[in-house]
Amino acid sequence: MEIKLTVNNEKRKVNVKPHTRLIDLLREDLGLTGTKEGCGKGECGACTVLMDNKVVTSCLVLAVQADGSEILTIEGLETKDKLHPIQQAFIDTGAVQCGYCIPGMIISSKKLIDQNLNPSDDQIKRALSGNICRCTGYVKIVDAVKQAAHEIKSGVK
Amino acid sequence: MTKKYVGQNISKVDAKAKVTGKADYPQDLKFDNYLNVKIKRAPYPHAILKSIDLKQAKKVDGVVDIITGQDYPDLNKFGLIIKDQPVLIGIGEKMRFLGDALAIVIAESEEAAFKARDKISLEIEKLKVISDPFNAIKKDAPAIHDDIELCTDYISQDIGKQNILVDHYLKKGDINKGFKEADLIVENTYQTQHIDQLPLQNEAGYAVYDQYTEILKIWAASQWLHDTQADVAQALNLNKDKVRIIQTAIGGAFGKKEDISVHLHLALAAMHTKRPVKLVYTREESMISQSKRHPLTIKAKTGVTEDGYLTAWQVEVFGDTGAYASSGPAVVHKGMYHCTGPYNVANVKGVSYAIYTNNTYGGAMRGFGTTQMAFAYESQIDIIADKLGMDPAQFRYQNAYDTNSTTPNGQRLSKSVNTKRTIEEAVKLSNWKGESEK
Repeated sequence: MEIKLTVNNEKRKVNVKPHTRLIDLLREDLGLTGTKEGCGKGECGACTVLMDNKVVTSCLVLAVQADGSEILTIEGLETKDKLHPIQQAFIDTGAVQCGYCIPGMIISSKKLIDQNLNPSDDQIKRALSGNICRCTGYVKIVDAVKQAAHEIKSGVK
Repeated sequence: MTKKYVGQNISKVDAKAKVTGKADYPQDLKFDNYLNVKIKRAPYPHAILKSIDLKQAKKVDGVVDIITGQDYPDLNKFGLIIKDQPVLIGIGEKMRFLGDALAIVIAESEEAAFKARDKISLEIEKLKVISDPFNAIKKDAPAIHDDIELCTDYISQDIGKQNILVDHYLKKGDINKGFKEADLIVENTYQTQHIDQLPLQNEAGYAVYDQYTEILKIWAASQWLHDTQADVAQALNLNKDKVRIIQTAIGGAFGKKEDISVHLHLALAAMHTKRPVKLVYTREESMISQSKRHPLTIKAKTGVTEDGYLTAWQVEVFGDTGAYASSGPAVVHKGMYHCTGPYNVANVKGVSYAIYTNNTYGGAMRGFGTTQMAFAYESQIDIIADKLGMDPAQFRYQNAYDTNSTTPNGQRLSKSVNTKRTIEEAVKLSNWKGESEK
């Protein structure tokens, strides 16, 4: 069956099976392998994307459910070779270790920062509670989100 | 002199690729015309494989071929320290845990490979399953491996040695003298459990075989690149210079990717089909078939004077090493060497056993046996401090390693011994004021 959706601001038409998951559509059909699979059960958050500006684990969404929706993946954050401030903050604070959780972390962080330019530690922890980092680098990840929020706020002024 | 790196913040070289999603982990690679591989694994943890019927499985649309042990009867066993793990279980051979591979399914799509895998029918003869190492060392327990030379020469007569992969001994000072000097002797048994390292990226890889140069290339996330290369070569009877292991980005490992996982099955599938092949484990498959932190049973007997100085420490360590050796002989051995933790004890005696069971095998994980021991010795220290009526921080401090302390295996610590300073800092940071005020 054919579905239409917008991925990272590009309109796409894709033929999918009824049981194709959104993560498979992104990774296999569109080649957007920045979205990772860690558990396939919605537990780890590595596959987090924004769907109509809502945080979803793309392993638990069927591709057909995304018909007509707008999807943002990690590949959609960079503009003209300039990193998004959240991406830059993750580099600057040393928040990246093995890196496998990072695309999901950054997407969840973006959703938080879009709504709140002054997040507290607790708000950051809550926003990232669905994203597991097994290298256990949470302190620096929280630092990265704070730094990114601060920079975006300063830029807005 | 300006310091270029020391004391400076240096960005990781691959951080940019990782924050943009461009870093390629093995499952992110894509080769033209590739085939999908899935593994049929043991349906029972201890059984003889009597027959495999592939008829229904081969009828699945999209299946290219299915490889079994019958197709490659000359494969050699593999393993990090001891070569005891078969690449494929052949007819008449024994499966020893649920991760053992019985067949390699190769198909045009992942879906077809899964479907065909589940249509393979097997006939097996179930054997008694040993899931507890203490049952494995009973005299009448069946031997899980009957074709591996066990390294156990000094085992006491009371226990069966047919499943003891390796035993190690430790002796420092005079244990009897140490217990004589003690005013209090405390004996306890500690038990730890299986823990999965759970790196976020599951085991995955690609292999490509060039039939003209006979070069086999495997892209996978590996912790022991050259060991893996050598082990793949010996298992498949290839020359080492024909095997290339190409490191991709690694999505965490924590010890779990020291062992061979996808490599050998990918290699066989690539050589068999002459096409690029891809194998990605599911999380369940990773948990069932790859290593774990060893569950250790630690029997500790500690002697201490009434003014709180340790005089003797004796341990027996039983490690459930599971179905295959992996890093087990080294993990259980090293664990025992850490039996007293960072505390001075003049008289130490220990024995450790790595014991085969039908559980998923134990291997490397952060700390390599020492974290399990820490649970035992720190618990032991707290219990003794309580019995002596001493502040546990003070008790630790007065027994702690200092420069020129010696470890249970006789190593003199000549520099960078910061145990006491660590205790001081911990007391300060936690605002510890002693047991009575907590």
